[in-house]
This record gives sequence, structure tokens and C-alpha cells, in this order.
Amino acid sequence: MVFRRFVEIGRVVLVNYGKDRGKLGVIVDVVDHNRALVDGPLTGLARQTINWKSLTLTPFKVKIQHSSRTGVVRKAWEEAKITEQWQNTAWYKKLCARRNKQKLGDFDRFKVMIAKKRKSAMIHSQWKRLKSQQQ
Amino acid sequence: MSKKPSGRLYCKGVVLGYKRSQRNQYPSQTRIKIQGVEDRASTAFYLGKRVAYVYRAKRPRKSVGGKKTKIRVIWGRIIAPHGNRGVVRAKFRNNLPPSSFGKRVRVMLYPSNV
Amino acid sequence: MVSKSRDVRRRLKEKAARKEAQLKTMSDKPSKPKMKWYPTEDKPRKLFLRKKPQKRTKLRASITPGTVLILLSGRFRGRRVIFLKQLASGLLLVTGPFELNGVPLRRVNQRYVIATSTKVDIQSVEIPPVDDSWFKKNKKNKKRSKEELTDTGKSKLPETFVNTQRSIDSQLVPLVKQVPFLKSYLCSRFCLSYGQFPHEMRF
Repeated sequence: MVFRRFVEIGRVVLVNYGKDRGKLGVIVDVVDHNRALVDGPLTGLARQTINWKSLTLTPFKVKIQHSSRTGVVRKAWEEAKITEQWQNTAWYKKLCARRNKQKLGDFDRFKVMIAKKRKSAMIHSQWKRLKSQQQ
Repeated sequence: MSKKPSGRLYCKGVVLGYKRSQRNQYPSQTRIKIQGVEDRASTAFYLGKRVAYVYRAKRPRKSVGGKKTKIRVIWGRIIAPHGNRGVVRAKFRNNLPPSSFGKRVRVMLYPSNV
Repeated sequence: MVSKSRDVRRRLKEKAARKEAQLKTMSDKPSKPKMKWYPTEDKPRKLFLRKKPQKRTKLRASITPGTVLILLSGRFRGRRVIFLKQLASGLLLVTGPFELNGVPLRRVNQRYVIATSTKVDIQSVEIPPVDDSWFKKNKKNKKRSKEELTDTGKSKLPETFVNTQRSIDSQLVPLVKQVPFLKSYLCSRFCLSYGQFPHEMRF
């Protein structure tokens, strides 16, 4: 297996802990083995040092010099169209789905349950049909 | 009575032990871990909720329905969060026996305020 | 003043004489046992209560007429019902409707209920004139005649109960059927399944 995502200046990361959970940022500088300086001018993530433990690396990268200022990061971000790229990933869609699922009320959950039942019933009937054809 | 409801209408909890210090125990308060509750903020929902320790005893005794059963209940209430990791403290009508440690309790959804 | 006190004394004397006479007549009847105690006051007096009349229970903001509620305890626990109105005692008047899920007109405490965000528009529904006394059992008729018993030996419901339930059901059910899935939703029961934690859930 070859690693494709590295900790490097310009790497886009996802914060997965604390009040900024779910926001994207860019590694602007590596402080030490524990922390990175992260900035996300377009995602509402204030420039700050964050522990590596609460960061997840994404496949995206932005071209910046280390310790670049917020304006530079913003420009590079816009040029690389990170926001659009991120919103196209299955990862982002999954996160959205999870968030939406939590927002569901009791009645909505019931409707989802019905839809799921219908879906699996359809699959099951098709599966049975195919199976009987094979024999 | 019609068919009994089959679903679960309570949260699962586990008795951890009494409230205690290093050398003393305070058996009037019991620590309970509720499944899925991992931080102090989430315990807010459960405060004041009723807790039932359901167990089987040796001798059957009259229960609510008038029938004699071996199943008995000790009721209690959740009174406070305990620490920062989602553990709560509860008070029971009779203090729980030490044999209940590690056993399941039912955290009911009432009194409700949703 | 003097004359008055004399008057009083005279009256007292007369009273004592009367009492004596009374006692004599009482002692003449040996069959009557002596009283074990005497009241400290001549007339029973009502206690002065400092307590103010109880305030009406405040309804939770999440509960409005037409809200679908989940019952949490009692015979119908787990059932989803429709809230109609709050009664004077503070209890909630709910119904299944009975035709759909078997929950009759019933009183519940709001503490034993989860309010969901689902609401049925019941503005057009005429809520029957049901109050707390409606639910009180008629104690005089406790021993019912055989005509009032059903085949299974259970007592029949009074006609008024049945009629009121029918009238409310006939209004509610068409409303429920207007909303897709709502009927089967009300027929189903609420329960927690694996991985569902109520503090994370919305209702």
C-alpha cells in the first residue's frame, strides 16, 4: 500500500472534534508533533493551532507557502476549487446524510423505516426470482 | 389485557457502584452508566428520570398485577451527573444491594419534558 | 354591667340544671355506652387554610391541540395518540383514535408523554364536552345487573362513552387519512431499538 495523503503544507484537513467539528481547513504550518497551524477562511474555521488527533487528512491540496497569510490561503483555496471538489465527494455526502438523519423527527423516522422495508422487499422478490431462474 | 407491548421503552444502564471516595462508600447514592451517553452535557436529558433495578428473587412475592412473581423492582431517580464522562448518580427507594453492581438497570423515559 | 353578669350567671345555672337533667335521663338508660370522647368545640368548624387554590398545570410548549404524543407508561405505553385538550385538572385529553389503534378517550399526565413534532390539524374537530368528572366511575352501579354484562363477563361500557368515542373518531379518522403514512404511523408503536439514544433523538 502506498500512502497518498501526507501531512504537508497546503494539505486540506477536516476537523473532527470540538466546536469546529465538520469544518475544513488548510495546514499552514506544522507546529510540532502534536499540533498544526490550520486556517479555513472560507469555511468559518479561525486560524489556530489544532491537535493532529482531531484532524483528518483529505485527498486535496492547496498550493501555498508555509505560514501563508489568510488572504493567500483564501486565494489558493478558490483557485483549487476545494469547496466544490469536497462537496462532490462521497465522504461529504455521507456526512450530510448522517447530519440529516439526526434531524429527523419521529414521524420521519417512521417513513424512512417504511421506505426501507419496501426497498428490501423489492430486492428480496427480485433475488428470489433470479434464484428460481438459475435452478 | 390486549397484547403486551414488545418494544423497549427504556434506556439501558449499568450499575457501577456506590458513590465513593478512596476509602469510604456512600451507599445512598449509586453511580450509573447509561448506554450511549459519553459526556456530561448529554446527561442533562436523563436527570430526574426514573430508574428501575429489576431482579429475580428466590421467593415469589405479590407484585402489581396481584400475581405472585419472583421478579422484583427497586425504583429510583437520577439525581445528578457524575464526572465528565456521562456517568450519573441515582437514589433508590432502598439502597441497591452490592450484588447489583455490574447489573443492568432500566432508565425510563419519564418524567418526560420533551 | 352588674345586671348583665347576673343574667349570665342565671343562664348558666339554668343550663347546668338542664344538663343534669339530661345526664339523669341518660343514666336511666344503661344500654347506651358512655361516650369515649367529647368534641372540644361545640360546633365543628372548618380549618382555616392558608393554601391558595392550586394553579392550573402549565402545558408544555411542545404540546398543542393536534400534537401526536407518545405514551410512555401504562397499558398503552408506546402508543402514538392525538392530543385534544388540557382538562381542568391539568391532565391531557387524548385519543388514539380508538378506531385506528385502540386507544380510547383517555386522560394522561404530560410527564408520561413525549411530544412529537407531528401535528394533526384539528381545528375543524368538535371536541366532545368531556371533563374530569366524565371519567369518574359511577360507583353506585358497581354491582351491575346481568343485562349489562357481556358474554365474557366483563361489564359493558355505558352508551355515552361509546357514542362520544364514535363521534370523535368519525371526525379524526378522515383527517388522519389525508396525510400519507399518518394512519399507519398512529397504528404503530414507538420503541427504542439498538443504537438509538433518546438524548440524541428528535421527536
